[in-house]
Amino acid sequence: MSAPTLSPTTATGTAATTRRRPRWRASTLAVVIPSALVLLTLLICALFAEALSPYDPLQQSLMDALQGPSAKHWLGTDDLGRDVLSRMIHGSRIAVIAAAEATGLAVLIGVPIGLFIGYRGGWWDWITMRAVEAIVSIPGIMVAIVIIAILGSGLHKAMFALGILYSTAFLRLARSVVLTEREEVYVKSARVIGASPRRILIRHIFLNIAPPLIVQVTLTVGAVLLAEAGLSFVGIGVQPPQASWGTMLNTAAAYMELNAFLAVPPGLAIVVTVLAVNLLGDVLRDSIGRGVRLPAATPPRPRSAAIARKGTAPLPAREDDALRVDGLEVMVSPKGGDPVPVVTDMSFRIAKGETLGLVGESGSGKTVTGLALMGLIGAGGRITAGQVTLDGTDLLQLPPSGLEKARGTDIAMVFQDPTTSLNPAYTVGSQISEVLRIKQGLSRRAAWDRTVELIDRVGIPRPAERARAYPHELSGGMAQRIAIARALSCGPKLLIADEPTTALDVTVQQEILDLFRDLQDEMGMAMLFVTHDLAVAADICDRIAVMYCGEVVETAPVEQLFRDPRHPYTAGLLSAMPHGASGTPPLPVIPGAVPTPGHWPTGCRFAPRCAHAAPGCALPVDLTPGQTTTNAERLTRCIRATDLTLEAAQ
Amino acid sequence: MIKLVGQRLLAMVPLLLIVSILTFSFTALLPSDPVDLIIGDRGSNEQHEQVRERLGLNDPFVTRYLDWLGRAVQGDLGTSFFNSVRVTDAVLLRMPATLSLTFASVLISVVVGLGAGVAAALRPRSWIDRLATFGATIGQAIPNFWFGLILASVFAVTLRWFPATGYVPLGENPLGWLLSITLPALALGLSTSAALARQVRSAMVGVLQQDYIRAARAQGLSSRRVIFRHALKNALVPVVTVLSFQITVLLGGALIVEQVYAINGIGSLAIAAVRQQDIPMIQGIVLILVLVVMGVQLATDIVYGLINPKARPA
Repeated sequence: MSAPTLSPTTATGTAATTRRRPRWRASTLAVVIPSALVLLTLLICALFAEALSPYDPLQQSLMDALQGPSAKHWLGTDDLGRDVLSRMIHGSRIAVIAAAEATGLAVLIGVPIGLFIGYRGGWWDWITMRAVEAIVSIPGIMVAIVIIAILGSGLHKAMFALGILYSTAFLRLARSVVLTEREEVYVKSARVIGASPRRILIRHIFLNIAPPLIVQVTLTVGAVLLAEAGLSFVGIGVQPPQASWGTMLNTAAAYMELNAFLAVPPGLAIVVTVLAVNLLGDVLRDSIGRGVRLPAATPPRPRSAAIARKGTAPLPAREDDALRVDGLEVMVSPKGGDPVPVVTDMSFRIAKGETLGLVGESGSGKTVTGLALMGLIGAGGRITAGQVTLDGTDLLQLPPSGLEKARGTDIAMVFQDPTTSLNPAYTVGSQISEVLRIKQGLSRRAAWDRTVELIDRVGIPRPAERARAYPHELSGGMAQRIAIARALSCGPKLLIADEPTTALDVTVQQEILDLFRDLQDEMGMAMLFVTHDLAVAADICDRIAVMYCGEVVETAPVEQLFRDPRHPYTAGLLSAMPHGASGTPPLPVIPGAVPTPGHWPTGCRFAPRCAHAAPGCALPVDLTPGQTTTNAERLTRCIRATDLTLEAAQ
Repeated sequence: MIKLVGQRLLAMVPLLLIVSILTFSFTALLPSDPVDLIIGDRGSNEQHEQVRERLGLNDPFVTRYLDWLGRAVQGDLGTSFFNSVRVTDAVLLRMPATLSLTFASVLISVVVGLGAGVAAALRPRSWIDRLATFGATIGQAIPNFWFGLILASVFAVTLRWFPATGYVPLGENPLGWLLSITLPALALGLSTSAALARQVRSAMVGVLQQDYIRAARAQGLSSRRVIFRHALKNALVPVVTVLSFQITVLLGGALIVEQVYAINGIGSLAIAAVRQQDIPMIQGIVLILVLVVMGVQLATDIVYGLINPKARPA
């Protein structure tokens, strides 16, 4: 089988990615440009407040108090007749000073302390972090209020208080950067070769602290602006008559009934400014944190030729068929791309009490087939052709409610990883009894009793006790037994098992396979056993369907398939199977790689890798019984099936 | 579960001690002499000494702290410097208003946040998804007291649907209570609900991709049941952690929003105490607020343990 291509693991290099120049997208620019303009306007207002203001912000004129917007006063006047626009412009200066002071102080206090305790560790670290936790557990505004109680109110003192408050964030950030870097490989290796790790540590800390620091600064600036407004609003921040957006809102609150418009300009100014800072921070975080975004892969174009063909003739009906699948086709639409076929011309049948193995490499479409039968291929996937007949009913013709009814009752599924297919939030027993109550209408009590019986039946000791366990308290093998018990709880006619032993320990695998066999003997359901492991398939299946590139290339009873493979791909798979004995020659490998959906050849999909390919292989091939045999159990998708003599497995 | 609560309670003791040391030691940092604050500049030196002695200000710092702590443990947080009101009484008198406001806003935040978050997760890129994203971004930038002002000016002053100011105790008049806290709770709760909706959405989107959701569907459970029973409980696990933090933020926000609606809660008490440098009052308020925050954290820890079996101690 083809070896998976390992993506090269990139070296730790956060520094390398961060220094790559981000590529701006149009949507990013639509955020950056207005935000930058807002902040630029703010800065200009702050710097040239005197020149820009039409009036002195403190000049009172009681005759003109509480006016609405007019040509004389664009934004109206406040309770003392002061020009609101002029006060807004001067307020922007306060906002800039406040943000700079508090943020700067927070960085100056937080970063050195964080670096120090991160580097020293021990008691210094412990005590400081407990104090930080204590401060963080108090609502921030209360911390600021307490500090203002000590220092007194006023712009600079209040900003000092906010600086102390927000320093905790920078402290934690610096500390965590140091702690991460200390454990990095290059620091450790410097220690091993006897070099002083300190210099390399300092260099890397300064490289790595910059990006999160910048992001944290933007977050803090936004928070400071809001906090300053809040503190000034309640009267313990900036003091009147000095114009700050917060104090202006204080005035607005007092005169709300007389001039509601007073609240609008300062409030909007705060919102727009904080929004601009936050949005810029988001963009910075995205471009710094994730490096350059990869351009979206161009979606592969579907090969229309692969779809447009008549397909395999319907299989003759049989008395004991439990499931018949005829010409099933599944298309998947990749994000923003055209639909691509992942399963085509899929036909097989399973008799009552029979087990069909669906074998193929990953990506061959076996799991999708299983999910399609359940009607669970999810968003982006669509069944575009075919019939799925379960006990006489075409499942694909059922309305969603009918399919929902059939699931669990008539058709059930066991998934690959038992530890993730059970809900971690509920006990395993409740997940089985839920199905019994809903699907079979049992009472709570009866459902629970039946659940314990089922858990006992799948071979779990002390079932009543285990029913109350949560999934994470069970081993993988036990969890899979639970999943099997749940799938079989309503006695389905068809059980789909999707690689049910792959995630388990080898020793447990055999036990689970034995359990499947026992339960099938007892309950007589048909089973579709999806696996990539031919040895497992040989163990449990009656017949095998080999899949390649979304279609079945050969089906045969297990014995015949192993003894006499007709399709070159099957033969290749068989010869790639290890046979246990040591000293055997290296396993032959099928040359080339499995093409991905959307890149399938138009003719025989295996032809490019096939040693026996002939010119006729360039045309689509159907699944046929071949010319020499009339045995409907043996179907092959190969034009040379009859004239080739393929080497069988030993 | 009892074990979990016990562990959490034990873990709170050191934190509470540190908070008490921090809040107490700030008296030593105060620039002004509390005695001057109490008797003014006119008092004689003898009077000063008497007050100092009465307040225990001549004792060493550690003695004073232990003394204060000993009484605090018994529920006595001292008396105000300015009126002989007991701090505990004053704080407890104001607490119902602040707590009503906080929890009403938490309720709004949770109801709106959960609903919008789930809806957005089920229909990505729908209008409700966009609204939640937009609301979260705007919500972060809006000062909630300003939002409160706008709500008051529209719904109280102009439309007169709600009272503009004041707080009606729940025991006095339940309907009046509801009307009095609706606007402030909306002002506080709505802006955080959008952020919460974003959290719920991303948690929900992650959970809906899990194997156990597909497995539950494979058992033929209805979409509604899969979403509200199987997915939501798991999606709430990270949300509860965020909520615990948000309640603290909302409590802080309540202190400010109270001022907009002239609600006599902890906020106005604290601001008056700061203006007057009423040390025992500030200490008491901080300590009781921390107790409230810890209670909230304990409650969220319990909820967290209930919905996330892995978090329970074995």
